[in-house]
Amino acid sequence: MTSSPVKAQAAGRDGRASLKQFTRALGAAIVVLVIWRVTTVGLAEGYPASFWISQALNGLVLGGVYALVALGYTLVYGILFMINFAHGEVMMIGGITGFFALQFAQARGWMEGPWPVVVVALLLIMFIGMAASVLIGVTLERLAYRPLRQAPRLVPLISAIGASLFLQYSVLLIFGVSPHSYRKPALISGGLRLGDVFIPYTGAIIFITSILLMLALYFIIQRTKLGRAMRAVAEDRSTASLMGVDVNAVIVVTFMLGSALAGAAGVMLGFHNTVVKFNSGFIPGLKAFTAAVLGGIGNIPGAMFGALILGLIEAIGPSALGIPTEYKDVIAFTMLVLILIFRPTGLFGEVLSEKKA
Amino acid sequence: MPLESATRAVRTGLVAFAFLSYLILIGIPGRIGGPALPVMALIAALFFWVKLRRESIEPSKEATGRGQDGFEGKPGWEIGPQAASNGSRVRELLSSHTGTALVLKGLLAGLTTGLLIAIVSGIIAAAMGNGIAIQPVLDKIVPLNAAALIGVSPGQIAQADVSFARFLLQVLLFTGAGILAALAVTAGSSDLTHAAPVGRLTRHLSGPTLTSAGRYAGIALPFVLLAYIAWLGLPGVTAFGTNEGTVRLLLTLIATGSGLFALRLSRPGREQLAVAVLLGLGVVTMPFILDQFQNSVMGLVFIFVMMGLGLNIVVGYAGLLDLGYVAFFAIGAYTYAFLSAPFSSPYISGLLTLLGISPESPLLGYWMALPVAMLTAAVGGILLGIPVLRMRGDYLAIVTLGFGEIIRLFMLNLGELTNGPRGILEISQPALFGLTPVDVTFGLLSSQGWIFLLALISSALVAFVAIRLNESRLGRAWFAMQEDEDVAEATGVHLVRTKLLAFAIGATFAGMAGQLYAARQINIFPENFSLFVSIDALALIIVGGIGSPAGIVLGALALKGLPEVLRGVDEYRIVTFAALLVIMMIVRPDGILPSARRRIQLADPDEPGMDSDPETREEEPGLTVNGDAFADGSGGREEQ
Repeated sequence: MTSSPVKAQAAGRDGRASLKQFTRALGAAIVVLVIWRVTTVGLAEGYPASFWISQALNGLVLGGVYALVALGYTLVYGILFMINFAHGEVMMIGGITGFFALQFAQARGWMEGPWPVVVVALLLIMFIGMAASVLIGVTLERLAYRPLRQAPRLVPLISAIGASLFLQYSVLLIFGVSPHSYRKPALISGGLRLGDVFIPYTGAIIFITSILLMLALYFIIQRTKLGRAMRAVAEDRSTASLMGVDVNAVIVVTFMLGSALAGAAGVMLGFHNTVVKFNSGFIPGLKAFTAAVLGGIGNIPGAMFGALILGLIEAIGPSALGIPTEYKDVIAFTMLVLILIFRPTGLFGEVLSEKKA
Repeated sequence: MPLESATRAVRTGLVAFAFLSYLILIGIPGRIGGPALPVMALIAALFFWVKLRRESIEPSKEATGRGQDGFEGKPGWEIGPQAASNGSRVRELLSSHTGTALVLKGLLAGLTTGLLIAIVSGIIAAAMGNGIAIQPVLDKIVPLNAAALIGVSPGQIAQADVSFARFLLQVLLFTGAGILAALAVTAGSSDLTHAAPVGRLTRHLSGPTLTSAGRYAGIALPFVLLAYIAWLGLPGVTAFGTNEGTVRLLLTLIATGSGLFALRLSRPGREQLAVAVLLGLGVVTMPFILDQFQNSVMGLVFIFVMMGLGLNIVVGYAGLLDLGYVAFFAIGAYTYAFLSAPFSSPYISGLLTLLGISPESPLLGYWMALPVAMLTAAVGGILLGIPVLRMRGDYLAIVTLGFGEIIRLFMLNLGELTNGPRGILEISQPALFGLTPVDVTFGLLSSQGWIFLLALISSALVAFVAIRLNESRLGRAWFAMQEDEDVAEATGVHLVRTKLLAFAIGATFAGMAGQLYAARQINIFPENFSLFVSIDALALIIVGGIGSPAGIVLGALALKGLPEVLRGVDEYRIVTFAALLVIMMIVRPDGILPSARRRIQLADPDEPGMDSDPETREEEPGLTVNGDAFADGSGGREEQ
């Protein structure tokens, strides 16, 4: 009678060991399969080098945008241990607001003015998008997440799913189903041609802006008193509060920073994809989450590099594997599943892996 | 103190204004038309009422020093003093909050809201009057709503034909709403300690606490409704004049829902058995008396009951949050479609010719295809289950969500196999011994009625299996696993097997539901299987009460049935349910009809919070958040 639990336990342990072996074998098989596919199909197609380079540049641009969104996931996760499922929608709202700001600027003729005017107007548009996102992000925290801070982990997740749907369909009701198309001003609609490689100005601007924003965030977190408070709260919330850190304020600021980055990303994605609509935040949000997981969620540099890697894989992957580009979303989600199976702490390690259990 | 309560009142007014602006933006007033302004004022009054009521309880809450602690709150031991102070709270309330103060507060809040709304609609009216288009998108909705609010036609706004008195009316109405709300709070102040009407209601519903007369009335209600529905079906009988089909559908939904309550109200034993048998008979006759439209809605409801019961095994019993549940639904539907529709992919027809079967005729009938669809879905469940065995909580949710999306993308893009976005057409209908029931019953049973009947029988079967499973050894293993995986393993639960069984059984039920859905739709397309099916299934078990089969039926009736009745406001459906999901999580995470175990099944064992008594949790502030209390709490600890 006493032996049966022991036996079962041993069986469970055996099960775990064999499971580990199984996942390892599976991982090896997948790697071999991918390498085989890339060498036999992707490289055999014989695309010129310039094709790969411009694909890679595209990937970097997309990766930069994903990085901005991924930082929002990582920041919130680092502090609250919750996935802000509605973060993609926060980004989308930045994009929608940016669209109206752009329309306003175009109606005023600012977009045809001399270049300083255009630059200032573009910056203004981005700031307006960021401001809208910050407003939504903070409201979200206050209404949907703060009351649930001591609830079990899945309760805020469900609340976040609700909030995500709520934001999407509110935008649908307010602004309609049809996509709103960003019209680029003449100043940034061209591009740079280096040999066979074409670099659109918007792409370059997006990449540079996202790098600058990431540097700014890194500076805030590493060098300012606020950043130190954020890191302290992420490390140990109750001890931080004993040391005189206003935990609530830090959480609000975290949401503000993440939402501001997402708003900027939304505006830039609007310029990059040329359209925004009510559900245009959902898939990029999932991708950015994938990027955050790829880099190790809770890890800020990890999110940045994870996003760049994801962008590259998404841009190069379909051609390298010789499959239609419609499957690029499949590649991203498959990546997510594979990472979570084989390296749940991400490529760069999860900073707070022990506490989240 | 007076200044502080004044700022509070103004803040209440601002929040009400924000909420009403949202309603204006999504186009509610334009839809209501004529009486838009009074309706909006009524909504504002309700909001003020809730807010003032809560505020008048709050001071005493702060007096007991109970902080809104964010991280290590142990409600368990903080409830003691709270409960003990109930008596003094009432006294304090009556002495400190006189009616006049409340009315002043209500007046201030109402005035703020009214003034802001008047100013904004004034600005819009002025802009329109001067020919300024507000925004290319907004100006379609906003003028219509502004006009409805001011009580004129949009044309009159454009001609600047709006008198000042109309704005004054707005201000007065909202101020009146505030005063009315304050008066209502004052009038009901003796009842203020009962801050949880929802809790009381469910306590009544979940146990026989009613008087015997009330109990018998509750038991009789579904039968009366059923009889009325049957009578409505007789030729020449109409209900309330218009829109008979919808009224009858609504009555059917209410009858089914009240049947569940009747079951709960009846005494366990012979009485309950009798009620159950009679109800079963009544429900089974429904497909015969309803018309095609009502049957199709009820069929969908019960298909989702099956989905919910299956997902409940994964989420409610085993505690694994699965957001990609639609994948198994799709697998079931597509398996049946492959087997029974004349379209077959080049692959499949090639295979069939190889086997010497003509690819033109349907391969298998409904009943023969059923085990195949269930098995395919179960295999899909195990295939999803194996890689996610080690994951928990939110990671699992995201991975399953990704899995669902992958399946959908494959359906969309694997044109050779699934016909892509053009879908699979002309799926054959379930037959009974080679005959269609429509012919057998001489037209008494419509084709959708047959589907409804099948859905009813299948979901009863699924419910039986699910309940028995939950009470079996496996069910207890699931429960142990969701409480704490490590402890469960230590006590002899084989985790791998238990988890995979949960995934496989849940997927099997989804496969059954998917097959029936394909038969109901006749033509299926990849967009039938979007993420929203997963979200709907999850939402219905959460709204109904996670882990409780009766709650799932109720959730399906509310989430899949009611929107069909409210066809006119269908566009607000998702927004409403999304908001409801958030509010539900905050106010009542156990659902309307919580399971008998009365535990939050989503709970992670490590965290405190939800293991306290459900009654105490309802005392927590809901949507209105008092963050200040949190700061006070942590500040207080600092001084120690």
